[in-house]
Amino acid sequence: METTNKVYLQPTPVRIWHWLNAFGIITLIVTGAQIRFPEYISLLTSYKSAILLHNTAGLMVAVSFSLWFFYYGLVARSIRKIYVPTKDDLQFGILRQAKFYLLTYFLGWKNPHHATPDDKFNPMQKSAYMAIMFVLMPLVALTGILLTNVSPLRELVILVGGLKLLVAAHFLLACSLCAFLFTHVYLATLGKTPMAYIKPMWTGWEEVEPGEHSHHTP
Amino acid sequence: MTMRTQPKRTIWLACLILTLALPLAALAVENSDCLGCHADADTVGKTFRIDPVTFDTTAHAEVGCQECHASVTDKHPDDGATPSKANCQDCHDAIGAEYAGSNHHGNATCNDCHNPHVARGATAVSGVDMNRQCEGCHGNLDMVLKHAEWLPQADLHIAMLPCVSCHTASQDNVITMYIIKRSLTGDRKLATFAELKEQAGGKSIQSLIDRNEDNYISLAELRMFNLDSENHTLRLQGMITPEKVTHDFRTLDNRWDCSFCHASGPAARQTSFVSLIQEDGSYLRIAAEKGAVMDALYGTPDFYMVGATRSKMLDYIGMVIIAGGMVMPIGHGTLRFLTRKNRQHKEEE
Repeated sequence: METTNKVYLQPTPVRIWHWLNAFGIITLIVTGAQIRFPEYISLLTSYKSAILLHNTAGLMVAVSFSLWFFYYGLVARSIRKIYVPTKDDLQFGILRQAKFYLLTYFLGWKNPHHATPDDKFNPMQKSAYMAIMFVLMPLVALTGILLTNVSPLRELVILVGGLKLLVAAHFLLACSLCAFLFTHVYLATLGKTPMAYIKPMWTGWEEVEPGEHSHHTP
Repeated sequence: MTMRTQPKRTIWLACLILTLALPLAALAVENSDCLGCHADADTVGKTFRIDPVTFDTTAHAEVGCQECHASVTDKHPDDGATPSKANCQDCHDAIGAEYAGSNHHGNATCNDCHNPHVARGATAVSGVDMNRQCEGCHGNLDMVLKHAEWLPQADLHIAMLPCVSCHTASQDNVITMYIIKRSLTGDRKLATFAELKEQAGGKSIQSLIDRNEDNYISLAELRMFNLDSENHTLRLQGMITPEKVTHDFRTLDNRWDCSFCHASGPAARQTSFVSLIQEDGSYLRIAAEKGAVMDALYGTPDFYMVGATRSKMLDYIGMVIIAGGMVMPIGHGTLRFLTRKNRQHKEEE
Protein backbone atom coordinates (compact mmCIF):
# COMPACT_ATOMS: atom_id res chain seq x y z
CA MET A 1 0.00 0.00 0.00
CA GLU A 2 1.28 3.40 -0.98
CA THR A 3 1.70 5.80 1.90
CA THR A 4 1.42 9.50 1.33
CA ASN A 5 3.49 12.13 3.04
CA LYS A 6 2.03 15.47 3.90
CA VAL A 7 3.89 18.75 3.73
CA TYR A 8 2.59 21.83 5.49
CA LEU A 9 3.00 24.19 2.56
CA GLN A 10 0.65 27.10 3.23
CA PRO A 11 0.49 28.55 6.75
CA THR A 12 -2.88 29.84 7.98
CA PRO A 13 -2.14 33.60 7.54
CA VAL A 14 -1.12 32.99 3.93
CA ARG A 15 -4.31 31.05 3.24
CA ILE A 16 -6.51 33.70 4.82
CA TRP A 17 -4.63 36.35 2.84
CA HIS A 18 -5.00 34.39 -0.40
CA TRP A 19 -8.73 33.82 -0.13
CA LEU A 20 -9.45 37.36 1.04
CA ASN A 21 -7.57 38.54 -2.03
CA ALA A 22 -9.41 36.08 -4.25
CA PHE A 23 -12.77 37.21 -2.91
CA GLY A 24 -11.74 40.87 -3.17
CA ILE A 25 -10.33 40.61 -6.68
CA ILE A 26 -13.35 38.74 -8.07
CA THR A 27 -15.62 41.36 -6.50
CA LEU A 28 -13.47 44.07 -8.08
CA ILE A 29 -13.68 42.46 -11.52
CA VAL A 30 -17.45 42.02 -11.41
CA THR A 31 -18.20 45.49 -10.02
CA GLY A 32 -15.52 47.08 -12.20
CA ALA A 33 -17.13 45.57 -15.30
CA GLN A 34 -20.49 47.02 -14.26
CA ILE A 35 -18.97 50.44 -13.59
CA ARG A 36 -17.36 50.56 -17.03
CA PHE A 37 -20.17 48.94 -18.98
CA PRO A 38 -23.37 49.82 -17.09
CA GLU A 39 -25.47 49.55 -20.23
CA TYR A 40 -24.50 45.88 -20.66
CA ILE A 41 -23.81 44.60 -17.15
CA SER A 42 -26.16 44.95 -14.21
CA LEU A 43 -25.21 42.18 -11.80
CA LEU A 44 -25.69 44.51 -8.88
CA THR A 45 -29.06 46.15 -8.59
CA SER A 46 -27.71 49.67 -8.90
CA TYR A 47 -24.69 51.42 -10.31
CA LYS A 48 -24.26 53.18 -7.00
CA SER A 49 -23.94 49.92 -5.09
CA ALA A 50 -21.45 48.68 -7.69
CA ILE A 51 -19.29 51.74 -7.01
CA LEU A 52 -19.53 51.41 -3.23
CA LEU A 53 -18.69 47.71 -3.35
CA HIS A 54 -15.85 48.31 -5.81
CA ASN A 55 -14.34 51.00 -3.59
CA THR A 56 -14.68 48.85 -0.47
CA ALA A 57 -13.19 45.76 -2.12
CA GLY A 58 -10.42 47.91 -3.61
CA LEU A 59 -9.54 49.29 -0.21
CA MET A 60 -9.56 45.80 1.27
CA VAL A 61 -7.24 44.41 -1.41
CA ALA A 62 -4.95 47.46 -1.12
CA VAL A 63 -4.69 46.94 2.65
CA SER A 64 -4.12 43.23 2.15
CA PHE A 65 -1.41 44.02 -0.40
CA SER A 66 0.27 46.39 2.05
CA LEU A 67 0.18 43.69 4.76
CA TRP A 68 1.82 41.26 2.34
CA PHE A 69 4.51 43.76 1.48
CA PHE A 70 5.06 44.67 5.11
CA TYR A 71 5.23 41.04 6.23
CA TYR A 72 7.42 39.55 3.51
CA GLY A 73 9.51 42.66 2.98
CA LEU A 74 10.11 43.86 6.50
CA VAL A 75 9.18 41.12 8.99
CA ALA A 76 10.12 37.85 7.31
CA ARG A 77 12.58 39.54 4.94
CA SER A 78 12.00 36.72 2.48
CA ILE A 79 10.53 38.78 -0.34
CA ARG A 80 13.70 38.50 -2.41
CA LYS A 81 14.08 34.77 -1.82
CA ILE A 82 10.51 33.90 -2.67
CA TYR A 83 9.71 36.33 -5.46
CA VAL A 84 12.91 37.44 -7.20
CA PRO A 85 14.22 34.99 -9.82
CA THR A 86 17.85 33.91 -9.31
CA LYS A 87 20.50 34.08 -12.02
CA ASP A 88 20.04 30.35 -12.55
CA ASP A 89 16.28 30.82 -12.83
CA LEU A 90 16.73 33.42 -15.54
CA GLN A 91 19.39 31.48 -17.45
CA PHE A 92 17.93 27.98 -17.33
CA GLY A 93 14.99 27.77 -14.96
CA ILE A 94 12.44 29.73 -16.98
CA LEU A 95 13.27 27.80 -20.13
CA ARG A 96 13.13 24.49 -18.29
CA GLN A 97 9.74 25.34 -16.80
CA ALA A 98 8.39 26.63 -20.13
CA LYS A 99 9.53 23.42 -21.79
CA PHE A 100 7.62 21.45 -19.16
CA TYR A 101 4.38 23.40 -19.58
CA LEU A 102 4.50 23.51 -23.36
CA LEU A 103 5.92 20.09 -24.18
CA THR A 104 6.97 17.55 -21.58
CA TYR A 105 3.78 17.92 -19.52
CA PHE A 106 1.84 16.51 -22.49
CA LEU A 107 4.28 13.60 -22.66
CA GLY A 108 3.56 12.79 -19.04
CA TRP A 109 6.86 13.95 -17.54
CA LYS A 110 7.07 15.22 -14.00
CA ASN A 111 7.24 18.89 -13.04
CA PRO A 112 10.94 19.85 -12.85
CA HIS A 113 10.23 22.14 -9.90
CA HIS A 114 9.50 20.77 -6.46
CA ALA A 115 8.00 23.31 -4.11
CA THR A 116 9.02 23.50 -0.47
CA PRO A 117 7.78 26.03 2.08
CA ASP A 118 11.03 27.95 1.50
CA ASP A 119 11.02 27.66 -2.26
CA LYS A 120 7.40 27.84 -3.24
CA PHE A 121 7.55 29.13 -6.76
CA ASN A 122 9.02 27.77 -9.94
CA PRO A 123 11.13 30.19 -12.05
CA MET A 124 8.20 31.12 -14.30
CA GLN A 125 5.97 31.73 -11.31
CA LYS A 126 8.59 33.93 -9.71
CA SER A 127 8.77 36.10 -12.82
CA ALA A 128 4.99 36.23 -13.20
CA TYR A 129 4.37 37.00 -9.52
CA MET A 130 7.11 39.60 -9.53
CA ALA A 131 5.36 41.44 -12.36
CA ILE A 132 1.98 41.02 -10.63
CA MET A 133 3.03 41.95 -7.10
CA PHE A 134 5.63 44.61 -7.82
CA VAL A 135 4.17 46.28 -10.90
CA LEU A 136 0.51 45.52 -11.66
CA MET A 137 -0.91 45.40 -8.12
CA PRO A 138 0.77 48.56 -6.83
CA LEU A 139 -0.16 50.46 -9.99
CA VAL A 140 -3.78 49.33 -10.06
CA ALA A 141 -4.10 50.19 -6.36
CA LEU A 142 -2.46 53.60 -6.73
CA THR A 143 -4.57 54.55 -9.76
CA GLY A 144 -7.63 53.33 -7.85
CA ILE A 145 -6.75 55.42 -4.79
CA LEU A 146 -6.33 58.50 -7.00
CA LEU A 147 -9.64 57.82 -8.73
CA THR A 148 -11.54 57.51 -5.45
CA ASN A 149 -10.06 60.79 -4.19
CA VAL A 150 -10.10 63.02 -7.25
CA SER A 151 -11.03 66.22 -5.40
CA PRO A 152 -8.48 66.09 -2.58
CA LEU A 153 -5.73 64.71 -4.84
CA ARG A 154 -6.57 66.88 -7.86
CA GLU A 155 -3.04 68.23 -8.32
CA LEU A 156 -1.63 64.72 -8.28
CA VAL A 157 -4.28 63.54 -10.74
CA ILE A 158 -3.33 66.30 -13.17
CA LEU A 159 0.37 65.68 -12.58
CA VAL A 160 0.06 62.08 -13.76
CA GLY A 161 -1.74 63.16 -16.92
CA GLY A 162 -5.36 63.77 -15.99
CA LEU A 163 -8.39 61.65 -15.27
CA LYS A 164 -8.64 60.06 -18.70
CA LEU A 165 -5.11 58.70 -18.63
CA LEU A 166 -5.64 57.48 -15.08
CA VAL A 167 -8.88 55.69 -15.93
CA ALA A 168 -7.27 54.17 -19.04
CA ALA A 169 -4.32 52.90 -16.98
CA HIS A 170 -6.58 51.53 -14.23
CA PHE A 171 -8.74 49.73 -16.80
CA LEU A 172 -5.84 48.18 -18.75
CA LEU A 173 -4.05 47.11 -15.55
CA ALA A 174 -7.28 45.53 -14.34
CA CYS A 175 -7.68 43.70 -17.66
CA SER A 176 -4.12 42.39 -17.32
CA LEU A 177 -4.83 41.13 -13.80
CA CYS A 178 -8.05 39.56 -15.02
CA ALA A 179 -6.10 37.82 -17.82
CA PHE A 180 -3.61 36.56 -15.23
CA LEU A 181 -6.47 35.22 -13.11
CA PHE A 182 -7.58 32.85 -15.87
CA THR A 183 -4.04 31.52 -16.29
CA HIS A 184 -3.60 31.33 -12.50
CA VAL A 185 -6.75 29.29 -11.96
CA TYR A 186 -5.95 27.01 -14.91
CA LEU A 187 -2.39 26.35 -13.74
CA ALA A 188 -3.79 25.52 -10.30
CA THR A 189 -5.48 22.50 -11.84
CA LEU A 190 -2.26 21.10 -13.34
CA GLY A 191 -1.38 18.93 -10.34
CA LYS A 192 -1.58 15.18 -10.16
CA THR A 193 -5.29 15.60 -9.81
CA PRO A 194 -7.10 18.83 -10.71
CA MET A 195 -7.58 19.66 -7.01
CA ALA A 196 -4.07 18.64 -5.90
CA TYR A 197 -2.73 22.19 -5.85
CA ILE A 198 -5.96 23.87 -4.84
CA LYS A 199 -6.45 21.81 -1.67
CA PRO A 200 -3.25 22.99 0.06
CA MET A 201 -4.37 26.58 -0.33
CA TRP A 202 -7.48 25.62 1.61
CA THR A 203 -6.12 23.11 4.18
CA GLY A 204 -2.44 24.08 4.24
CA TRP A 205 -1.26 20.51 3.60
CA GLU A 206 -0.06 19.10 0.33
CA GLU A 207 0.02 15.39 -0.24
CA VAL A 208 3.24 14.20 -1.82
CA GLU A 209 4.38 10.82 -2.99
CA PRO A 210 6.97 8.98 -0.83
CA GLY A 211 10.51 10.11 -1.45
CA GLU A 212 9.38 13.25 -3.22
CA HIS A 213 9.05 16.84 -2.16
CA SER A 214 5.93 18.79 -2.71
CA HIS A 215 4.98 20.06 -6.13
CA HIS A 216 4.72 23.66 -6.99
CA THR A 217 1.76 25.78 -6.16
CA PRO A 218 0.26 27.96 -8.87
CA MET B 1 -61.23 122.23 -53.30
CA THR B 2 -60.25 118.66 -52.42
CA MET B 3 -56.71 119.29 -53.64
CA ARG B 4 -56.32 122.23 -51.23
CA THR B 5 -57.91 120.68 -48.09
CA GLN B 6 -55.85 117.42 -48.14
CA PRO B 7 -52.41 118.90 -47.14
CA LYS B 8 -54.13 121.14 -44.60
CA ARG B 9 -55.67 118.17 -42.87
CA THR B 10 -52.34 116.33 -42.77
CA ILE B 11 -50.59 119.30 -41.16
CA TRP B 12 -53.33 119.57 -38.52
CA LEU B 13 -53.02 115.87 -37.74
CA ALA B 14 -49.25 116.08 -37.41
CA CYS B 15 -49.55 119.02 -35.03
CA LEU B 16 -52.07 117.14 -32.91
CA ILE B 17 -49.80 114.10 -32.61
CA LEU B 18 -46.82 116.26 -31.73
CA THR B 19 -48.79 118.16 -29.09
CA LEU B 20 -49.90 114.93 -27.46
CA ALA B 21 -46.58 113.11 -27.76
CA LEU B 22 -44.25 115.87 -26.60
CA PRO B 23 -45.13 115.72 -22.89
CA LEU B 24 -44.90 111.91 -23.01
CA ALA B 25 -41.46 112.09 -24.61
CA ALA B 26 -40.37 114.54 -21.96
CA LEU B 27 -41.59 112.14 -19.28
CA ALA B 28 -39.85 109.01 -20.73
CA VAL B 29 -36.68 108.16 -18.82
CA GLU B 30 -33.94 106.47 -20.76
CA ASN B 31 -31.66 103.78 -19.20
CA SER B 32 -28.76 106.14 -19.75
CA ASP B 33 -30.54 108.82 -17.66
CA CYS B 34 -30.69 106.40 -14.72
CA LEU B 35 -27.20 105.02 -15.18
CA GLY B 36 -25.82 108.55 -15.26
CA CYS B 37 -26.06 108.38 -11.47
CA HIS B 38 -26.60 104.68 -10.72
CA ALA B 39 -23.35 103.55 -12.36
CA ASP B 40 -21.43 105.51 -9.77
CA ALA B 41 -21.23 104.08 -6.25
CA ASP B 42 -20.02 107.43 -4.86
CA THR B 43 -23.23 109.11 -5.97
CA VAL B 44 -25.84 106.47 -5.09
CA GLY B 45 -24.01 104.20 -2.66
CA LYS B 46 -23.01 100.56 -3.15
CA THR B 47 -26.52 99.19 -2.64
CA PHE B 48 -28.00 101.11 -5.54
CA ARG B 49 -25.02 100.90 -7.84
CA ILE B 50 -25.64 99.09 -11.11
CA ASP B 51 -22.81 97.86 -13.29
CA PRO B 52 -23.72 99.33 -16.69
CA VAL B 53 -21.69 96.81 -18.69
CA THR B 54 -23.30 93.81 -17.03
CA PHE B 55 -26.77 95.35 -17.01
CA ASP B 56 -26.50 96.09 -20.70
CA THR B 57 -26.20 92.36 -21.48
CA THR B 58 -29.39 91.45 -19.64
CA ALA B 59 -32.81 91.12 -21.21
CA HIS B 60 -34.02 93.55 -18.53
CA ALA B 61 -31.92 96.32 -20.10
CA GLU B 62 -33.90 95.91 -23.30
CA VAL B 63 -37.13 96.33 -21.38
CA GLY B 64 -35.82 99.52 -19.80
CA CYS B 65 -35.50 100.79 -16.24
CA GLN B 66 -38.85 102.47 -16.19
CA GLU B 67 -40.76 99.39 -17.14
CA CYS B 68 -40.03 97.98 -13.68
CA HIS B 69 -39.64 101.26 -11.81
CA ALA B 70 -42.70 102.93 -13.28
CA SER B 71 -43.15 105.58 -10.61
CA VAL B 72 -39.79 107.18 -11.26
CA THR B 73 -40.05 110.59 -12.88
CA ASP B 74 -37.44 113.10 -13.90
CA LYS B 75 -37.92 114.61 -10.42
CA HIS B 76 -36.22 111.53 -8.89
CA PRO B 77 -34.60 111.59 -6.36
CA ASP B 78 -35.55 115.16 -5.40
CA ASP B 79 -39.22 114.22 -5.04
CA GLY B 80 -38.26 111.98 -2.11
CA ALA B 81 -40.58 109.25 -3.37
CA THR B 82 -39.45 105.64 -3.13
CA PRO B 83 -39.38 104.23 -6.65
CA SER B 84 -41.85 101.46 -7.29
CA LYS B 85 -40.64 97.98 -8.15
CA ALA B 86 -42.38 95.71 -10.56
CA ASN B 87 -43.55 92.31 -9.53
CA CYS B 88 -41.44 89.69 -11.36
CA GLN B 89 -44.57 87.67 -12.08
CA ASP B 90 -45.95 90.55 -14.14
CA CYS B 91 -43.72 89.30 -16.93
CA HIS B 92 -42.58 85.91 -15.68
CA ASP B 93 -45.99 84.60 -14.74
CA ALA B 94 -45.39 81.03 -15.89
CA ILE B 95 -42.16 80.78 -13.90
CA GLY B 96 -43.92 82.34 -10.91
CA ALA B 97 -46.64 79.71 -11.03
CA GLU B 98 -44.09 76.92 -11.35
CA TYR B 99 -42.02 78.30 -8.48
CA ALA B 100 -45.09 78.60 -6.26
CA GLY B 101 -45.39 74.82 -6.37
CA SER B 102 -41.77 74.20 -5.38
CA ASN B 103 -40.41 73.70 -1.89
CA HIS B 104 -38.31 76.83 -2.33
CA HIS B 105 -41.45 78.94 -2.35
CA GLY B 106 -41.80 80.67 0.98
CA ASN B 107 -38.09 80.28 1.70
CA ALA B 108 -36.68 82.58 -0.95
CA THR B 109 -38.09 85.35 -3.10
CA CYS B 110 -37.05 85.86 -6.72
CA ASN B 111 -34.62 88.57 -5.67
CA ASP B 112 -32.92 86.31 -3.11
CA CYS B 113 -31.50 84.31 -6.00
CA HIS B 114 -31.69 86.67 -8.97
CA ASN B 115 -30.45 90.22 -9.14
CA PRO B 116 -32.54 91.59 -12.02
CA HIS B 117 -29.74 93.98 -12.96
CA VAL B 118 -27.34 91.08 -13.45
CA ALA B 119 -29.56 88.11 -14.40
CA ARG B 120 -28.72 86.46 -17.70
CA GLY B 121 -30.09 83.46 -19.50
CA ALA B 122 -28.98 79.99 -18.43
CA THR B 123 -26.67 79.49 -21.39
CA ALA B 124 -25.03 82.89 -20.97
CA VAL B 125 -23.61 82.08 -17.54
CA SER B 126 -21.07 79.49 -16.47
CA GLY B 127 -21.97 76.41 -14.47
CA VAL B 128 -20.01 77.86 -11.57
CA ASP B 129 -22.11 81.05 -11.75
CA MET B 130 -25.30 78.98 -11.75
CA ASN B 131 -24.31 77.53 -8.39
CA ARG B 132 -23.76 80.97 -6.86
CA GLN B 133 -27.56 81.36 -6.63
CA CYS B 134 -27.71 78.17 -4.55
CA GLU B 135 -24.65 78.81 -2.38
CA GLY B 136 -26.36 81.81 -0.77
CA CYS B 137 -28.39 79.39 1.36
CA HIS B 138 -26.86 75.96 0.73
CA GLY B 139 -23.30 76.01 2.07
CA ASN B 140 -20.80 73.88 0.18
CA LEU B 141 -19.67 71.74 3.12
CA ASP B 142 -23.25 71.08 4.22
CA MET B 143 -24.16 69.99 0.72
CA VAL B 144 -21.12 67.72 0.36
CA LEU B 145 -21.95 66.01 3.68
CA LYS B 146 -25.63 65.68 2.85
CA HIS B 147 -24.97 64.22 -0.61
CA ALA B 148 -22.19 61.97 0.72
CA GLU B 149 -24.88 60.03 2.60
CA TRP B 150 -25.76 58.36 -0.68
CA LEU B 151 -23.69 59.83 -3.52
CA PRO B 152 -20.23 58.41 -4.27
CA GLN B 153 -17.58 61.11 -4.85
CA ALA B 154 -19.96 63.72 -3.40
CA ASP B 155 -17.28 66.41 -3.19
CA LEU B 156 -16.38 65.92 -6.83
CA HIS B 157 -20.00 66.01 -7.95
CA ILE B 158 -20.71 69.18 -5.97
CA ALA B 159 -17.59 70.87 -7.32
CA MET B 160 -18.05 69.81 -10.92
CA LEU B 161 -21.78 70.09 -11.52
CA PRO B 162 -24.33 72.86 -11.47
CA CYS B 163 -26.92 71.90 -8.83
CA VAL B 164 -29.65 72.37 -11.44
CA SER B 165 -28.27 69.50 -13.52
CA CYS B 166 -30.13 67.20 -11.14
CA HIS B 167 -32.50 69.56 -9.34
CA THR B 168 -34.54 70.57 -12.32
CA ALA B 169 -37.17 69.04 -14.53
CA SER B 170 -34.98 69.48 -17.62
CA GLN B 171 -34.95 66.18 -19.48
CA ASP B 172 -31.93 66.98 -21.58
CA ASN B 173 -28.45 67.65 -20.34
CA VAL B 174 -25.47 68.60 -22.48
CA ILE B 175 -21.76 68.75 -21.85
CA THR B 176 -20.44 72.27 -21.57
CA MET B 177 -16.72 72.91 -21.40
CA TYR B 178 -15.18 75.95 -19.78
CA ILE B 179 -11.61 77.21 -19.87
CA ILE B 180 -9.90 76.92 -16.51
CA LYS B 181 -6.70 78.75 -15.66
CA ARG B 182 -4.12 77.52 -13.23
CA SER B 183 -2.61 80.30 -11.17
CA LEU B 184 0.99 80.37 -9.94
CA THR B 185 -0.22 79.14 -6.56
CA GLY B 186 -1.91 76.14 -8.18
CA ASP B 187 -5.49 77.36 -7.86
CA ARG B 188 -7.76 76.47 -10.74
CA LYS B 189 -10.48 78.92 -11.57
CA LEU B 190 -12.55 79.90 -14.57
CA ALA B 191 -10.28 82.00 -16.78
CA THR B 192 -11.26 85.66 -16.87
CA PHE B 193 -11.69 87.56 -20.11
CA ALA B 194 -8.53 89.59 -19.41
CA GLU B 195 -6.48 86.42 -18.88
CA LEU B 196 -7.70 84.87 -22.11
CA LYS B 197 -7.19 88.15 -23.98
CA GLU B 198 -3.60 88.22 -22.82
CA GLN B 199 -3.16 84.59 -23.83
CA ALA B 200 -4.62 85.27 -27.29
CA GLY B 201 -2.05 88.04 -27.78
CA GLY B 202 -4.01 90.44 -29.94
CA LYS B 203 -6.23 87.84 -31.60
CA SER B 204 -9.79 87.13 -30.53
CA ILE B 205 -10.10 84.81 -27.54
CA GLN B 206 -12.30 82.52 -29.61
CA SER B 207 -9.26 81.82 -31.81
CA LEU B 208 -7.55 80.23 -28.79
CA ILE B 209 -9.71 77.18 -29.31
CA ASP B 210 -11.79 77.76 -32.44
CA ARG B 211 -8.70 78.29 -34.58
CA ASN B 212 -10.48 78.94 -37.85
CA GLU B 213 -13.21 80.93 -36.05
CA ASP B 214 -16.02 79.18 -37.85
CA ASN B 215 -18.11 79.02 -34.66
CA TYR B 216 -17.70 75.26 -34.58
CA ILE B 217 -15.12 73.41 -32.55
CA SER B 218 -13.85 70.26 -34.15
CA LEU B 219 -12.25 67.33 -32.39
CA ALA B 220 -8.91 68.38 -33.88
CA GLU B 221 -9.29 71.89 -32.48
CA LEU B 222 -10.10 70.49 -29.04
CA ARG B 223 -6.98 68.35 -29.13
CA MET B 224 -4.81 71.18 -30.38
CA PHE B 225 -5.98 73.41 -27.56
CA ASN B 226 -5.03 70.84 -24.95
CA LEU B 227 -1.72 69.91 -26.48
CA ASP B 228 -0.57 73.43 -27.33
CA SER B 229 2.29 74.19 -24.95
CA GLU B 230 1.42 77.90 -25.21
CA ASN B 231 -1.77 77.08 -23.33
CA HIS B 232 -0.15 75.04 -20.59
CA THR B 233 -1.82 77.06 -17.82
CA LEU B 234 -5.22 76.62 -19.46
CA ARG B 235 -7.40 73.55 -19.42
CA LEU B 236 -10.86 72.61 -20.49
CA GLN B 237 -13.19 71.46 -17.78
CA GLY B 238 -16.41 69.74 -18.68
CA MET B 239 -19.69 70.10 -16.83
CA ILE B 240 -23.05 68.52 -17.38
CA THR B 241 -25.48 71.38 -17.75
CA PRO B 242 -29.25 71.33 -18.26
CA GLU B 243 -30.59 72.58 -21.56
CA LYS B 244 -33.59 74.09 -19.86
CA VAL B 245 -33.68 75.39 -16.31
CA THR B 246 -36.99 75.05 -14.55
CA HIS B 247 -38.06 76.58 -11.27
CA ASP B 248 -39.78 73.63 -9.66
CA PHE B 249 -36.41 72.23 -8.48
CA ARG B 250 -37.79 68.77 -8.75
CA THR B 251 -35.28 65.93 -8.74
CA LEU B 252 -36.49 63.65 -11.50
CA ASP B 253 -36.40 59.94 -10.69
CA ASN B 254 -33.82 59.28 -13.40
CA ARG B 255 -31.31 61.57 -11.63
CA TRP B 256 -31.07 59.07 -8.75
CA ASP B 257 -29.82 56.52 -11.23
CA CYS B 258 -26.08 57.02 -11.70
CA SER B 259 -26.19 55.53 -15.16
CA PHE B 260 -28.34 58.49 -16.28
CA CYS B 261 -25.00 60.22 -16.76
CA HIS B 262 -22.49 57.39 -16.38
CA ALA B 263 -23.49 55.26 -19.32
CA SER B 264 -22.82 55.73 -22.97
CA GLY B 265 -25.61 56.02 -25.41
CA PRO B 266 -28.10 58.75 -24.62
CA ALA B 267 -28.02 61.11 -27.57
CA ALA B 268 -28.20 64.21 -25.41
CA ARG B 269 -24.80 63.65 -23.94
CA GLN B 270 -23.23 63.39 -27.36
CA THR B 271 -23.93 67.11 -27.61
CA SER B 272 -21.25 69.37 -26.30
CA PHE B 273 -20.32 73.03 -26.29
CA VAL B 274 -17.39 75.17 -25.37
CA SER B 275 -18.59 78.18 -23.40
CA LEU B 276 -16.34 81.21 -23.74
CA ILE B 277 -16.35 84.22 -21.47
CA GLN B 278 -17.05 87.53 -23.22
CA GLU B 279 -15.79 91.00 -22.41
CA ASP B 280 -19.01 91.84 -20.55
CA GLY B 281 -18.69 88.74 -18.36
CA SER B 282 -21.39 86.76 -20.11
CA TYR B 283 -20.66 83.40 -21.75
CA LEU B 284 -21.05 82.47 -25.38
CA ARG B 285 -21.66 78.85 -26.30
CA ILE B 286 -19.90 77.46 -29.34
CA ALA B 287 -21.00 74.06 -30.60
CA ALA B 288 -18.41 71.29 -30.53
CA GLU B 289 -18.23 68.28 -32.81
CA LYS B 290 -20.82 65.61 -31.96
CA GLY B 291 -19.42 63.08 -29.57
CA ALA B 292 -16.21 65.06 -29.39
CA VAL B 293 -15.54 64.62 -25.70
CA MET B 294 -16.54 60.99 -25.81
CA ASP B 295 -13.64 59.71 -27.83
CA ALA B 296 -10.91 62.30 -27.51
CA LEU B 297 -8.38 60.86 -25.08
CA TYR B 298 -6.60 64.18 -24.86
CA GLY B 299 -9.71 66.22 -25.55
CA THR B 300 -10.64 66.93 -22.00
CA PRO B 301 -8.20 65.29 -19.63
CA ASP B 302 -10.02 66.62 -16.58
CA PHE B 303 -13.42 65.42 -17.64
CA TYR B 304 -14.36 61.81 -17.33
CA MET B 305 -17.69 60.22 -16.73
CA VAL B 306 -17.04 56.52 -16.74
CA GLY B 307 -19.23 55.01 -19.40
CA ALA B 308 -20.32 58.01 -21.35
CA THR B 309 -16.84 59.25 -22.05
CA ARG B 310 -15.02 55.96 -22.27
CA SER B 311 -12.81 55.28 -25.24
CA LYS B 312 -13.94 52.42 -27.47
CA MET B 313 -10.36 51.76 -28.56
CA LEU B 314 -9.38 51.06 -24.93
CA ASP B 315 -12.32 48.69 -24.59
CA TYR B 316 -11.00 46.67 -27.53
CA ILE B 317 -7.44 46.63 -26.17
CA GLY B 318 -8.77 45.49 -22.79
CA MET B 319 -10.76 42.70 -24.40
CA VAL B 320 -7.68 41.53 -26.31
CA ILE B 321 -5.68 41.41 -23.05
CA ILE B 322 -8.39 39.37 -21.31
CA ALA B 323 -8.68 37.07 -24.33
CA GLY B 324 -4.89 36.65 -24.13
CA GLY B 325 -5.37 35.32 -20.59
CA MET B 326 -7.73 32.68 -21.94
CA VAL B 327 -5.21 31.35 -24.46
CA MET B 328 -3.47 29.28 -21.80
CA PRO B 329 -6.58 27.62 -20.32
CA ILE B 330 -8.19 26.98 -23.70
CA GLY B 331 -5.11 26.08 -25.77
CA HIS B 332 -3.23 24.18 -23.09
CA GLY B 333 -6.45 22.66 -21.78
CA THR B 334 -7.31 21.25 -25.20
CA LEU B 335 -3.86 19.69 -25.66
CA ARG B 336 -4.02 18.42 -22.08
CA PHE B 337 -7.29 16.68 -22.82
CA LEU B 338 -5.97 15.17 -26.05
CA THR B 339 -2.79 13.87 -24.38
CA ARG B 340 -4.41 12.66 -21.15
CA LYS B 341 -3.47 9.06 -21.97
CA ASN B 342 0.24 9.89 -21.87
CA ARG B 343 -0.01 10.93 -18.25
CA GLN B 344 -2.14 7.92 -17.31
CA HIS B 345 0.50 5.60 -18.80
CA LYS B 346 3.23 7.31 -16.80
CA GLU B 347 1.13 6.97 -13.64
CA GLU B 348 0.75 3.25 -14.27
CA GLU B 349 4.49 2.87 -14.87
